[in-house]
Amino acid sequence: MSQVQVNSAIHDRAAKGETILEVDDLVKYFPIRAGLLRKTVGQVHAVDGVSLNLKAGETLGIVGESGCGKTTLGRTIIRLTDPTAGAIRFKGVDITGYSRGQMREIRREMQIVFQDPYASLNPRMTVREIVAEPLRVHGLYKERGGKKRISELLETVGLAPEHGNRFPHEFSGGQRQRIGVARALALNPQVLILDEPVSALDVSIQAQVVNLLEDIQEEFGLAYIFIAHDLSVIRHISDRVAVMYLGKVVEIGTRRGVYETPSMPYTQALLSAAPIPDPVRQGRRERIVLKGDVPSPADPPSGCRFRTRCWKAEDICAKEEPELIVRASDHPDRCHFSAIEEKVIVS
Amino acid sequence: MAEPVLTIEDLRVEFSTEDGIVKAVDGVSYEVYPGETLGVVGESGSGKSVTVMSILDLIPRPPGKIVSGRAMFKGQDLLTASKDDMRRIRGKEIAMVFQDPMTSLNPVFKVGDQLEEAIKIHDPAVSDDDARKKSIELLQLVGVPNAERRVDQYPHEYSGGMRQRAMIAMAIANEPAVLIADEPTTALDVTIQAQIIEVLKTAQEETHAATILITHDLGLIAEMADRVVVMYAGQVVEVADVETIFRAPRMPYTMGLMNSLPRLEADEERLIPITGQPPSLINVPPGCPFHPRCYLRNGRQICVEENPPLEQVDQPEHLSACHFKQEMKGDTSKFADDEVAS
Repeated sequence: MSQVQVNSAIHDRAAKGETILEVDDLVKYFPIRAGLLRKTVGQVHAVDGVSLNLKAGETLGIVGESGCGKTTLGRTIIRLTDPTAGAIRFKGVDITGYSRGQMREIRREMQIVFQDPYASLNPRMTVREIVAEPLRVHGLYKERGGKKRISELLETVGLAPEHGNRFPHEFSGGQRQRIGVARALALNPQVLILDEPVSALDVSIQAQVVNLLEDIQEEFGLAYIFIAHDLSVIRHISDRVAVMYLGKVVEIGTRRGVYETPSMPYTQALLSAAPIPDPVRQGRRERIVLKGDVPSPADPPSGCRFRTRCWKAEDICAKEEPELIVRASDHPDRCHFSAIEEKVIVS
Repeated sequence: MAEPVLTIEDLRVEFSTEDGIVKAVDGVSYEVYPGETLGVVGESGSGKSVTVMSILDLIPRPPGKIVSGRAMFKGQDLLTASKDDMRRIRGKEIAMVFQDPMTSLNPVFKVGDQLEEAIKIHDPAVSDDDARKKSIELLQLVGVPNAERRVDQYPHEYSGGMRQRAMIAMAIANEPAVLIADEPTTALDVTIQAQIIEVLKTAQEETHAATILITHDLGLIAEMADRVVVMYAGQVVEVADVETIFRAPRMPYTMGLMNSLPRLEADEERLIPITGQPPSLINVPPGCPFHPRCYLRNGRQICVEENPPLEQVDQPEHLSACHFKQEMKGDTSKFADDEVAS
């Protein structure tokens, strides 16, 4: 089975706080093809130079609007799509050029949960088969004890073992997402990439799944990359937060730093625009309403990518791209005119 | 209060499916007053959309069936109105904005043509020039930039936010008495949502329409609604002004909904979810439909036997469908926990 050479140290459990995943200047462009010969006429700059690191046991939230590249980032990190440039290191091992066979070993440690609980489960398989599949693929399903392991996994995510004999369509959205989580946990990974895992769920069910994710993180010492557009959910679940805009991280810091002292205008606009479900507080804050739409990622603006919608923009913003460095706040932002704005959320 | 402009009384709507009869709307009554924004909240399958679709004769029949009820609008029951009457009322007196603008904008006609048609169909006396002028004005009102040029573009040339604006322009073209917005911002990004909220507010100020805002987004409700109707399993379970709904609800479902929301403006240790799953509408639990998930029930038999009526609690404008609503006296949601300095 294993002619594939992979440093076996990757299967050792990382100690809490140890860096488990590093992403270095990651770039993913998608070609735009047109014409009879499908010639490449342009590139969609989906992810354009993103650097991140993730420590064992922590949750890094990635937030941004549609088209900001957050989903592509997640899929590129787990190599569902190949990066155009940059490096991904898992426990210090560069996996950027890993073959499919080598990636199979990595995926024992790094799994992904998708947004749509209706599309990501095979409708012809029973729940038990779905959850057992990763174990079978990796040759880890033991005829003795395999059944018990699946029952344990189902119980971990709050389903009864007898649910295992049913098919996905018999479950509600929240329960399907639990099945997706059980499948991701089957190989006992160290990192989960969660791509909008609760966005399709109703509010009362969303809270159940968020709590479940927190519980299993605690129990198994998992590190999460939690991708979402919902700012409240990201605040609740994350230790650190990265804000993305048009393929770039524009602000990154602890959740408290980013939510209470945002220093990049885009983050400020985003936070001020997010509706607060509380009529009293809602009535007492001022909203920054941005003009226009997000520019096309096929033709991003020169310099700072946010400048076309920014109220602070000056000539320099079109000429020079601001670096992601610490300026006005305690955490890095990408703004020439970085300044703390404390009043964007009323608390 | 003034007379309501639209009154829904005991509406019951069923759909027959392979698996059985779905009671999508099960005895819903509410009314909306001139100039107010009435928020209707509920999770998927609570019947919030089907209620308004039914009174506008927009549900497919069959499999849908209106079993009983009335929907009084300007002295007329919409449920017994003729097809012609409904065509006159829909789009003119009662207009709708949907979640997905592409389903209501025709992709093969220019946006301007569709606006002009909406104006002229209800008022054939308007000249072509005037209709075009009014279309441009409407697009300007809803914040479409370069309206003179964009009036001649097709829907696919508009972004999602712009399409939603165009649809709002079409909805208010005939100054409706009632504007129904069904998840108007759900498909949009946060920064675009904020723009559309402003547009909806402008539209309402311009037309003084009574607005029914249907959404699962409690943030949008907090921002836009004056009064709120909470629906669960095809029934209205609570009605109150927006502050009361958020801070001191008197129905355990509403309380659970509020407390399960993650907060944007504070770090919280743990969310408090509602336990269990939403009911199947084919097999609604007996008695109070919420009883299998209720924290207040404590095994009491009446919750399984009798569906509690929607009755007044605390103030006259506050209605709750809970046998034990009085036990919630003094209870507040987490939004009222901390002191809000004014």
